[in-house]
Parts: sequence; C-alpha cells; structure tokens
Amino acid sequence: MSGFALQVENLVKVYESRGRAPVRAVDGLSFEVKRGQIFGLLGPNGAGKTTTLKVLNTLIRPTSGRASVLGYDVVAQPLEVRRRISVVIQESAAELFLSTLDNLLTFARFHSVPVAEANRRAEKVMDLFHLREEAARKVQDLSGGFRRRVQVAKVFMVNTPIVFMDEFSTGMDPILKRAVMNYLREEAARGRTIVLTTQILSEAEELCDDILIMNKGKQVARGDLHALKLLSEGVYDVSLTFEKLPAAIEQHLAALAPRRMRVTGNTVEFSVKADEARVLALVAELATRERVLRVEVSGASLEDIFVELMK
Amino acid sequence: MTAISAMLYREGKIRVTNLTFIFWDLFYPLGYLLVFGVMMNYMVGTQFPLAGVDYNSFFLAGVLGMASFGIASNTSWSFFLDRDNGIFYEMLTYPLSRAEYLLGKVLFTVFIALLQTAVTLGLGSLVLGIRVRADLLPLLLLAVAGGTAGWFFFYAIFALWTRRNDVFNSVTSVFYFVFLFASSMFYPLEPLPTWFRGAALANPVTWHVDLMRYLTIGFGNPRTVAIEAAAFAAFCVVSFVIAVRFLQEQE
Repeated sequence: MSGFALQVENLVKVYESRGRAPVRAVDGLSFEVKRGQIFGLLGPNGAGKTTTLKVLNTLIRPTSGRASVLGYDVVAQPLEVRRRISVVIQESAAELFLSTLDNLLTFARFHSVPVAEANRRAEKVMDLFHLREEAARKVQDLSGGFRRRVQVAKVFMVNTPIVFMDEFSTGMDPILKRAVMNYLREEAARGRTIVLTTQILSEAEELCDDILIMNKGKQVARGDLHALKLLSEGVYDVSLTFEKLPAAIEQHLAALAPRRMRVTGNTVEFSVKADEARVLALVAELATRERVLRVEVSGASLEDIFVELMK
Repeated sequence: MTAISAMLYREGKIRVTNLTFIFWDLFYPLGYLLVFGVMMNYMVGTQFPLAGVDYNSFFLAGVLGMASFGIASNTSWSFFLDRDNGIFYEMLTYPLSRAEYLLGKVLFTVFIALLQTAVTLGLGSLVLGIRVRADLLPLLLLAVAGGTAGWFFFYAIFALWTRRNDVFNSVTSVFYFVFLFASSMFYPLEPLPTWFRGAALANPVTWHVDLMRYLTIGFGNPRTVAIEAAAFAAFCVVSFVIAVRFLQEQE
C-alpha cells in the first residue's frame, strides 16, 4: 500500500459543452498528501478545488493525468477508493424522507458498520452535533442548518481512513463549528486523513497541517502555515484602538499604501509591507496623536497571503 | 452483496414512509382488472375472438405487464428526487459499484411487484374465477421480477440522460402511449392490420405480455413465446448495461 493518502500527478480536467469554449478547471495539478494530516485545498471560486475533490471522490474522471487514494487509482479502481473514503459534498445532501437517526444508520450500513456498533456511534454523533432532539424527525422538516449538520455528522459514523469535506462549516453556528474542528483534530490524531476545502481562511489557518492554494486550476502555493507565511515576509497586520480617533488618520495611512485598511469606530486596522522597525515607529508616531487603548501587531494572516497570491 | 442489501434497506426505508403509495402499487392492477377487464368482458362477451378464453383471463397478463411497466416508471422518478435532495451525487461516492447501485435500487420495487402479482392472481381467481397454470407460476414470478427490473433499467437510461424531470415527464407520457397501446396488452394482434401487428411485434411490451400470457393461461405458440422471451431478456440486459454506462458518465 502507498505511503501517501493522496497522490495527484499532472491532473487535468477539461469540461466540454456544446456551443461553449472548453473550460480547463484543473490544469496540470500535482501534489501528495501524507496520511494522518489535515490537508486544506484553498482558492477563490472557480479555482478548481471542487473539481479536484470530485476526481479524488470518483465522481468524475480526469481528462488526463493520474490520481490515487491510498495507492488505488481513481479511474482503474474506483470501488477500492470508495471503500476508503467518506465525503461531505458542497451541496446540501440528506435523505429527506428519513429521520435524522435513520440517515445516520443508513449511511453506516453502506459502510458495513455492524448494527450494534452503528447504534452506539449514532448516540455519540447525535450528542456531538446536538441532534438528539431531532433524532426522530424527518430531515425534510428540519432547517437548512440542521440538514447540513446531519450531512456532516454522517462521516463520523464510519471509520474510513480518508474524509473529504467540501466547505463543511456552511450553515454551522460558531460553537458547533468549534466542536467539529476539535473532533476533526482528534480524528487526524488517530490517523485519519482529512481533506477539506474552505473559503473561510481562518478555519484553514487553525486546522490544516498542510495547505495548497490554487487558482485557475493550478497550484500557486503549497506548504504548512509557517512556510506560507514566509511568502509574505515583511507584511504586518496592525490594529489600534484610540480613545478618540485622530483627525485625518485615513489620509495619513493612505500615504503608506496599506494593503488593506478598515476604520471601525475608534479602531483602525491595516496591513502594511515594511520592515519591523518602521512598523513599530509608525505605531509610536500614531500613539502621539491620541491616547491608545489597545495595540496589536502581528505577522500576516493566511488571508493576507491569499489576497497577495491572487493578485 | 452488502452494498446491494444496504441499497435495498435504504429504498425500503424510504418507500415505507409512504404507505398510500405502497397500497396503490399493490392493488391498482387488480382495480384495473376489475374495472376495465370486467367492462370489456361484458362488452365483447362471446364475440371475443379467442376461443375458450374470456377477456378477463386474456387481460390478466396485460394488467401484470402494465403494472411492471408502471411501477418501474415510478421508481425511475426517484433519480430526480435524489437529485433534488442532493443525495444522488453523495451516494455515488458510497462503497458500491454503479451496477450494485442500480440493482439495489430496483430490488425493493421487484419485491412490491411480486406482492402485487400475488394479490392480483389471488383475488383475480377468487373474484373473477380466472384459472392460472400453477405449474408455470414460478416462471411467471420470474418474468414479473425480470420484467420490472428491465423496464426500470430502460427508464433509468432516460432519467439519467435527460437529467430534467420535465423532459422525463414528456418522455414517459410518450412511452406510455406508444408502448402500451401498440402492443398485445389490451387486445389480440391477430385480427389487426399488418402494419400495426408489425409495430406491436417489435415492441418489448408485447414480448413481455405474450410471455406472461403463456405463463398464466397457456395461450400462445410455445416456440414464438420462447423467441419473445429471449428477446425480452436481451432487452433487459442491454438496458441494464446502458443504464450502468449512463450512471458512470454522471458529472
């Protein structure tokens, strides 16, 4: 068996449709993912993330190139791949005519989980996702947020070595999202490989051991958070809260060509590319204008890097 | 086998949430036989052009064929429900092959079709006095099961191909009209014009109904029926292969 959870080699996917120019959704993508990692696939809309996931999930075939899951080729051995994965697709997906509990148990049955074990896991999963009160209700009677919970909850009913999650946190409240993220970390620590796509960069920043940023079907950056942050070395995020907002501060800061700037109430947040000494001098200079209540200077966030790479 | 049984379990779970539909599936062939069959029997009386067989007995196979055709069409609608629920694409990532997916999906319907046949034969015999050949009953049940599955695979091709329920609705309406009326379902073909007989003999509904007519009342030439049975079996297998192919091409 392969030492890698995922191997993608020069993957190309072109969508052809009559009367329209072909769309090259994935364009020569290559990467490998180690087992037990939380791997994030990031990119703007139309970057090719979901298409890449669909190839790995055996939902679509690549136009060229190779992709394998735990050493099993997605085209030649799709059933072997499906036996080792569970997937949360981007769209809402649930058995609307079945109850919440039946949704969980039916999914477990497809993955050959014994009935007693499935019942035990269903109890645990319903607690985690706060679904116990909805256990007997048909999913068609639940709100969109609860339907998404049921959909995500299903993957925790099984022990597939790889879990794919496309925008998993859509419709989740912050408390549930945090609980799920903690659970994902535990699952990864037990050796499961989690592959996720997300537009919420703070999620990826917090969760992912390894990140691949793609745009227009190609890789634009790859590495762990520290490696990615090196890409925007010298970029600092500054946040200052004044007792009273200094006059003409926006014009003053605009002269420094900040990458982004936001004024909310008496708080100014901006991002600048400059050496550390200059940033600190700038903060000191601003502090002479009005009394500062709170100051925060940090390195660039994943969002800064993402924006920089997409330019 | 686990995958097919999981699919069967899933379909069964969903279908039992709608008991009205199951009741209708079980009793509508009998209702058809009682309403349409009895009226026709009364109308044609002794003038029915098949010596020794009344219209009810003749129509029994037609009603079973219609039930197979109808229940298969209804089941193929579930592709659209699954698409609307979003579960269709998720299920394609489950650990089962495309062939297992289709077989599992049709098994519960086949089970209902067999119950439906038992109800129709039992009450048809009690109420209308229809005598069915007991020695051929196992083969009749096989023909019902195979036919229901075959028609489901046939419909699945169009459901997977069109991907739009409004288009599929038009397709099934045309199929109902053409397949059911240009066949031996309601009337014997012998007295009909040559062009109509030609069209009906090329129709898989005729092959299926003729087979079941032989298996219920022993009507028909055994050699011709054997050829029709082989043609219908080939039709079912080809429909299955094409449906699997279409399912593999879903993007």
